[in-house]
Amino acid sequence: MTKLLITEITRMGPAFCVIGLQRDKDNIRSIRPVSASANSWLNFPFHRGDILQCDLAPFSGAKPHVEDRVSTRGFQRESVVPEPEVVGYLHKAEIADSLPDLFGCVIHENRTGSGLYAKPLEPKRSICGTRTKNLRLELCGNEIRATLALSSGEVLRDLPLVDRDWRDFIDAALAEGRGANRVARLERFLNSQFHYKILSSPHHFIRLGLTRPYHDLYWLMLDTLFPLPKQEWLEEF
Amino acid sequence: MAPGKDENRWRGLIEDCFRREAGFQIPMPDSEQDLIETGVLDSMGWVSFLRSLESASGLNELGAQLTAETPSFESILHALRESKAETQSPGAGASHPQLVETRIPVLIASSSVALGSRRIPSVEIDRAFGMTEGKLQHRAGIESLTYASENENELSLGTRAARKALHAAACGVQELDWIIATSETHLSYPSLAAQLHSQLLTRETCGALDVGGACLGLLNGLAVAQSLIASSRARTILVVTADVHSRVFIPGRVAGELGGLFGDGASAFLLRTSGGNASQNAYSLGEFFFGCAGQYAGAIRVAQAANGDLDTHFDGEALSRAAITRLEKVIRETELRSGIALSSVNGVATHQPNPRLLKLLANQLGLPLKRFPKVAETSGNLGSSTCGVALHSVLQTAQDAPAGDCGPIFLASLGPGLLFGGGWLTPCHHLPRYEGRDL
Repeated sequence: MTKLLITEITRMGPAFCVIGLQRDKDNIRSIRPVSASANSWLNFPFHRGDILQCDLAPFSGAKPHVEDRVSTRGFQRESVVPEPEVVGYLHKAEIADSLPDLFGCVIHENRTGSGLYAKPLEPKRSICGTRTKNLRLELCGNEIRATLALSSGEVLRDLPLVDRDWRDFIDAALAEGRGANRVARLERFLNSQFHYKILSSPHHFIRLGLTRPYHDLYWLMLDTLFPLPKQEWLEEF
Repeated sequence: MAPGKDENRWRGLIEDCFRREAGFQIPMPDSEQDLIETGVLDSMGWVSFLRSLESASGLNELGAQLTAETPSFESILHALRESKAETQSPGAGASHPQLVETRIPVLIASSSVALGSRRIPSVEIDRAFGMTEGKLQHRAGIESLTYASENENELSLGTRAARKALHAAACGVQELDWIIATSETHLSYPSLAAQLHSQLLTRETCGALDVGGACLGLLNGLAVAQSLIASSRARTILVVTADVHSRVFIPGRVAGELGGLFGDGASAFLLRTSGGNASQNAYSLGEFFFGCAGQYAGAIRVAQAANGDLDTHFDGEALSRAAITRLEKVIRETELRSGIALSSVNGVATHQPNPRLLKLLANQLGLPLKRFPKVAETSGNLGSSTCGVALHSVLQTAQDAPAGDCGPIFLASLGPGLLFGGGWLTPCHHLPRYEGRDL
């Protein structure tokens, strides 16, 4: 039996990708439970901060998704850890402050459009936490993208935000029942209160991930953004 | 009703950007086709396509405008039409600079350069920096560097280039409304522009302005000068670059892999409204665009340490990758924005970090190397003056060509940050395209 503290739930099309932290003696490392047939879960009824009991095969996935472990049985919730504590544990897991250190390789920019990627065989892992000096979310053609400055001063632009809770929050903000000018109201929130709420939070932290191969490359995405959004924020705009 | 000029140009721009994102093997989708739902693009491709379009059209909010719209060519066209309508409404002029018509053409009336008068073979530089002999030649492709002599500095080189440019255009210094100077090595006061002002004995009411940007300085200076002339606040402006690296990047202070790349030189450009006497092969400034690719910020940093030393961080490999990728991107974007095919340009005046990288860039772009004037190979990286010396060289070649037989010129440069900028020049016989230009 393995105990996993769930730290990431990301959207992958109609399914979810899940990552948790496992204590391994003095170390804390990221583990991505996957089913025997897919890398994602069509239904994942748990939340971040849940500690789940599960059975995982001992073999790690191929680089860079070395965190993959096949789950051989269902999950059982054991207990729940509050958000600030989750972030505390994430600080003890994989973490880096500069672009080349994130995944242990050179990160390239898309030559024709937007986005950043790592080349095959180069990245050594597929998930990493980092501290940011600044972070901004923006809407672009129905998609939500993040731009952030690492503590090294390097700026990463146009990262897809795949964090399930944030994506749900954006969807809720744009839901038809919310009245007129929803896009403009959400943009106003993202340009003002969002900034204050996120960057002034004592447990602001992010984790960046690499996609599965897409056009043969591994693209950077914003997997997790702490603090998580609160339902009551929707009342503010 | 037949589609208008704008509509055709927008469609062309959309199709070009789509091709770049989706590739040439994908058939062009129908105008109203939902690109995501029909699987033509996925969400990553859609955003990337929109970002290309934003950058090519200068409409930075195009992506935001398309939120809650169907991802199709038709929605994009609609957003472009709306943007134009907004720009043309009273009081909306400045929000989308790329949509504002360039009404007053600005010409380069003359140009000149002044290189450091000592030419040093690169093996001597290898030795001075304690590197293996032949390293600069073999690794960077540098044959020699031009170094300032004892009695030369940024001011003397800049003054020499300025005087030659004024002379070439038969322009008296009293005609100058502004001197705009840029240098990455002149770090004292009075500033370089002020010193040039005194040295050239211009009118007291001639403005003197220093602009930064390091190797991007020339483009910054040209863009500022263009704005001053286009807004009728000036008629004649002298833009000067001058850099003397050989007194800053010295052995013992910086590594040879950095210091050994740089030489000394200056360039000067006289800019005027089209009312002046322009030669048949004179060039007019097109548009400029700028930005900062912060993901490369760590590749090069130079700062004055507390003890007076130079604190340099230089990751040669990262910087080379960044330079090639960005210069290529800027040149491709210049092609999209200008509507001028890269294959038709007379020359490309770029920053030249070193000759080896220039060769790589030419390969990436599929352009013959001869379209890039040789600067770094014989003089080294001249900082803000590299692009200036390259531009002067292309202008000189055009000057010697039969009247009317010269093509456009592309400009592209970079500075630490990673700052980037691009633009283009068109021969004056192409001038009508600037009247009523919309995108």
